[in-house]
Amino acid sequence: MTRAVLKFLPFLIALALIPIFLPGGRLGSYYLTLLILSVSYAVAALGLTILLGYSGQVSLAQAAFFGIGAYAFAVLAAKHDVPFGLSAIAALIITTGFGFLLGLISLRLASHYLALVTIGFQIIVGLVLNNWAIVTGGADGVSNIPRPAYFGIDFSHDHYFYWLSIACLGIASYLVYRLRHSRLGGALLALREDEIAAASNGISLFWTKILAFTASATLGGLGGILYASGSMYISPNVFDFNQSVSFFAMTLVGGQESIVGTTLGAALITFLPEVLRFLHAYYIAVYGALVVIVILFMPQGLYGMLLRGIDALRHMVFRSPAEGAAVPVAAQRQHSLKRPVATNDPILQITGLRKHFGGIKAVDGVDFTICRGDIAVLIGPNGSGKTTALNVLSGVYTATAGSISFNGTDITNRRPAEINRLGITRTFQNIRLFPELTALENVVIGYYPKGTVGLLGTLFARRRGFIEDREAAARARETLRLLGFSRFDIKAKNLPYGQQRVVEIARAIVSGPELLLLDEPAAGMNREETAALSEILYRIHDLGLTILLIEHDMSFVASVATRAYVMDFGQKISEGTVAQVLSDQKVIKAYLGDDAEYA
Amino acid sequence: MTIKIQTGLVSAAVFAATLGIATAQAAKTIDIGLIADLTGPAALSGKHKVDGAKLAVNEINAKGGINGKKIKLFVEDDQGKNQAGVSAYEKLASNQNIIAIIGSVRSTIVNATLPYVARDKIPTMIGGTDPMLTHVGNQWVFRFRPNDTYASRAMAGYAVDSMGAKKVAILYDTDAFGSAGNQLLKTAFAKDKTPVVSDQGYTTATRDYTSFLEKIKSSGANLLATYMTNSEDEAQMLKQLRQLGLKIEIMGSPSIATAVCLQLAGSAVNGTYGVSDFVANGNPQAQAFTAKYTAAYHSDPDLFGGWVYDAINVLSQVIAKDGTSGPAIQKGIRAVKGYKGVEGVYNFDDKGDGLHGYSVVKITGGKVQLIKYDDFTK
Amino acid sequence: MFVEFIQLTIAGLAVGSIYALVALGFVLIYTSVNVVNFAQGDFAMIGAYFMVSLVLGAHWPWWVALPLAMVLTGAVGALFQLVLYQPVRNRPRNFLPVMIATVGASVFLEQVFLLIYGPVPFQLPGIFKAQSVKIDGVFVYPQYLVIIVVTSVMVTVLNWFLERTKLGKQLQATAQDADTARLMGIRVARMTALIFAISTGLGGLAGILIAPVYTVTAGMGSTIALKAFASAIVGGFGSIKGAIVGGLTIGLVETYGATYISGSYRDAFPFIVLILFLIFRPSGLFGEKVSQKV
Repeated sequence: MTRAVLKFLPFLIALALIPIFLPGGRLGSYYLTLLILSVSYAVAALGLTILLGYSGQVSLAQAAFFGIGAYAFAVLAAKHDVPFGLSAIAALIITTGFGFLLGLISLRLASHYLALVTIGFQIIVGLVLNNWAIVTGGADGVSNIPRPAYFGIDFSHDHYFYWLSIACLGIASYLVYRLRHSRLGGALLALREDEIAAASNGISLFWTKILAFTASATLGGLGGILYASGSMYISPNVFDFNQSVSFFAMTLVGGQESIVGTTLGAALITFLPEVLRFLHAYYIAVYGALVVIVILFMPQGLYGMLLRGIDALRHMVFRSPAEGAAVPVAAQRQHSLKRPVATNDPILQITGLRKHFGGIKAVDGVDFTICRGDIAVLIGPNGSGKTTALNVLSGVYTATAGSISFNGTDITNRRPAEINRLGITRTFQNIRLFPELTALENVVIGYYPKGTVGLLGTLFARRRGFIEDREAAARARETLRLLGFSRFDIKAKNLPYGQQRVVEIARAIVSGPELLLLDEPAAGMNREETAALSEILYRIHDLGLTILLIEHDMSFVASVATRAYVMDFGQKISEGTVAQVLSDQKVIKAYLGDDAEYA
Repeated sequence: MTIKIQTGLVSAAVFAATLGIATAQAAKTIDIGLIADLTGPAALSGKHKVDGAKLAVNEINAKGGINGKKIKLFVEDDQGKNQAGVSAYEKLASNQNIIAIIGSVRSTIVNATLPYVARDKIPTMIGGTDPMLTHVGNQWVFRFRPNDTYASRAMAGYAVDSMGAKKVAILYDTDAFGSAGNQLLKTAFAKDKTPVVSDQGYTTATRDYTSFLEKIKSSGANLLATYMTNSEDEAQMLKQLRQLGLKIEIMGSPSIATAVCLQLAGSAVNGTYGVSDFVANGNPQAQAFTAKYTAAYHSDPDLFGGWVYDAINVLSQVIAKDGTSGPAIQKGIRAVKGYKGVEGVYNFDDKGDGLHGYSVVKITGGKVQLIKYDDFTK
Repeated sequence: MFVEFIQLTIAGLAVGSIYALVALGFVLIYTSVNVVNFAQGDFAMIGAYFMVSLVLGAHWPWWVALPLAMVLTGAVGALFQLVLYQPVRNRPRNFLPVMIATVGASVFLEQVFLLIYGPVPFQLPGIFKAQSVKIDGVFVYPQYLVIIVVTSVMVTVLNWFLERTKLGKQLQATAQDADTARLMGIRVARMTALIFAISTGLGGLAGILIAPVYTVTAGMGSTIALKAFASAIVGGFGSIKGAIVGGLTIGLVETYGATYISGSYRDAFPFIVLILFLIFRPSGLFGEKVSQKV
């Protein structure tokens, strides 16, 4: 709590001090009006920081939430004389409800589809606000919106209202910050980076998306309330698509993920047209051009550039050492590892599994049983259905027929997140790390299902949340070190391929699963990396994990596997030890064709 | 942490730096502010406003100004939007030398600025016709166009008395202007015991009126009353109405008689009736104004330029007599009676309304003909 | 009643054809370079304004001015992609930034043309002088028929071009796999410019066709754009056939909805249909499957 407060306090104090530096009279009140406006926009734009910046959901409906909040509040407070506080709370609840609705609508959509749904939502809300005159007052708008009156302070003085707005901005910023640095924040980032990987790590895509949308709606609504009370008059033409684009622009200036950046962006977008008034009719063109330039050539936003500039200056002045060129620590042998031996205790049972894609029978009747402590390997020529089988196992695909049972529980057709929580984790053929997150952050997300603190706990900074976060980080470090990796703070996208694989495996095992599925873990690796991988598998197995992997590298397979299954054309054609299946005629024929004769 | 402090301070400093606008200037000129849509959907009307204002200012300055001081006009863009309108108003108000501001014709923008008008106590001249604008107790607002209650009464009155309206269809813009006008029309027609058989609202800038026109056709109405905000929309609708072969009498709100409508609608507007506060040859002042305007700008004037021209002239007269202080101007405008302006004869009542009548016009051969002037002064 | 229905249908198909043309441009750009171009509607405005200059300014006959205006619009489109797409085409995950940049570009273009041409709306004369023709009690506005006919011809020509000419096949190749196309000796940068030129030219044509009906203003593009976008999705976002069918569908939905349900909510109907499709059938009528490869 204190760290967060200390980070933002100077900034908030600076903002709060501004009115003191303003000239008096009408010039001062001109600036104050703009400042109040900026703060209400900033609060709403913070909603987009969560939705777009953290969760990667493209939403052009923020003005709709801004409007719903403003209208709900104004109609209650000005037209029906409901007390200020009650109106505000009701408005927040109503807006959050709409956020939930938009989240539901948008669940299965991404990128431009999502953008368009939000645009549609925005336009419909705008039309309703304008035409539902009985409730909203229609195009005339709502006048005489009150300012609050608490503790004997008359907030109709703009100074006081400004400070009240700053206080709201402070609270909103703090909540957004808390969210970001919590387990739930990790889930939002995972959602943005890679939905499939997120689900496979136990994150419920449904609830995470809903969280993102409702949080952004609530903040949009809060901004709307500040706007309504600040301007004392609202009409529907304010809450249109262009306003949504403005909010978007505000977040972009900050580089999408930065709270301070978004706030500065809100101020910039509000003040820019004012500053550029001398350009008269040209300034909208300038504004449009600026959006294009910033977004294409400054992906970190103007604020990001500012920070980098300051950072560069600091390095020039203080000459801090270069970052993270740590050499990977060689895997430590703790005790001599025994070659894995399987038990006879079944852990996974697959019966009659089929997966058809229309006419293509990728998996066509497969049975096998994997025992606890196995390192089972699934081999077969390309296109034999191995990855498909794995995908059905982990819930990414649904089975056309057949059943899968894990520890006696039927897990057929369950969702990936559920399967993860039951104790099965996986890696992917094409490595699915969260590219923009560091190695440590990636692995911490693997620990997600172990967390217990929910949204309220996060926002209210429950102590348990901090304890769990520390535990997650510690376990993550431990797991990475176990696998011989220590470059915790490098972004995943900047790691070499072999190390990415190691991190992906670490992410899959940090939560202590029982069964680990690996899809071609050695793909693309050289001899040293493959040998290191064998060691890693021994090490993991030593911890008590059962492993099922798909592989092509036969010598690697031979060195680790306790049991092998061979698939061809969607069916199992052989099983046994690795030596057994490799000398099975059927297997040889599958790989090499009919004419081959091999000893 | 230090970065946050640094950026915080830098930001605060940047704000403070931009606040160094010069305020003190010797009052050698009489400074008047004007907010107009220089950009936005109604940019054309904004241009006409500025043109009308400049015409008045140049004329007065050519004659030596007001009591020897020249008028200086400050124009700010309100983009046709509430928020921009408020900040445009505030920007003008922040200049301590500005003694009066010419506000918007859009009732929503005027509404948005009202709290600031009351707080800053600057005499504000408006062209918005929503009746409520002068009935909320704001003492600093003066309306230089007749409000919508008069328009609707004139429209309904003439339609029933002289056009033989038996069943009426109304088509209105769903924005503030049109919706309010619609309500007033319905009230006026009800008073005249004429049924409204079709009442349809469209969103501003609708391009295809086929659906509305079909409904009007099947409603059996023999008069179409329109309350359309934009001349472009009016022209569009009229063209499509003629294309569909709809035979019906038409009585429109002021946008039907504007130069823009006449130009865009072409022959489609002939034979229609309307009410207008500005008629080019309606009175001697309007004729003189039209001649000067056309000579200066090579285009036809309309109500957007007309009321602003009047406003500046009335203002100058009041300042010449009573001085530049706010309260003096306020009292002075209230006292104006019998001022013959372009838009009509101004008699200000205690609410701040200066005009109380509308001209009924007919459009024939591409020209607006005055039929009569309906004076509702009690 | 029936007469009314016919008239509404013609109006709906005409407006739908305009959406179809703009949607077609969207889809062409999207399938080839994975760019969602929010400024697509503004090219309709640009085409219409060029037509204004050529017909009202230079007094050229429409059959010369129309193709020339289309070509000029396409040239602006090629320039557009040079600024907005080429600098970032190799950056990974550039999808979102480019999409948002086109929003900014849309604002910019509208303002620039407002500044150049001024706020006075222009009235382009229709191709036929007659205001309307009465057939069997039905009043038909010739320009609507022109729109429907020209759009059909244009779509056919485009289809022939893509399927039957070498250049068209090269375009398709570039659209489907730029890297392999490059390896085959196809100049991808030129193809991209050509794709944008064609797409924006189609958008320009839409503006030119609808201008006599709507009048030409700087804002005319943005009203068309969003509905065209909705049309593309309803039709199925990767599909050319879908863009056409989607456009016509949306045009009819809008017109019927405004008449039979509510005039004031006219603009809402296309989006309600869009949202319903996105909930129940995101792939649209003919389009790509909305799924991911694992």
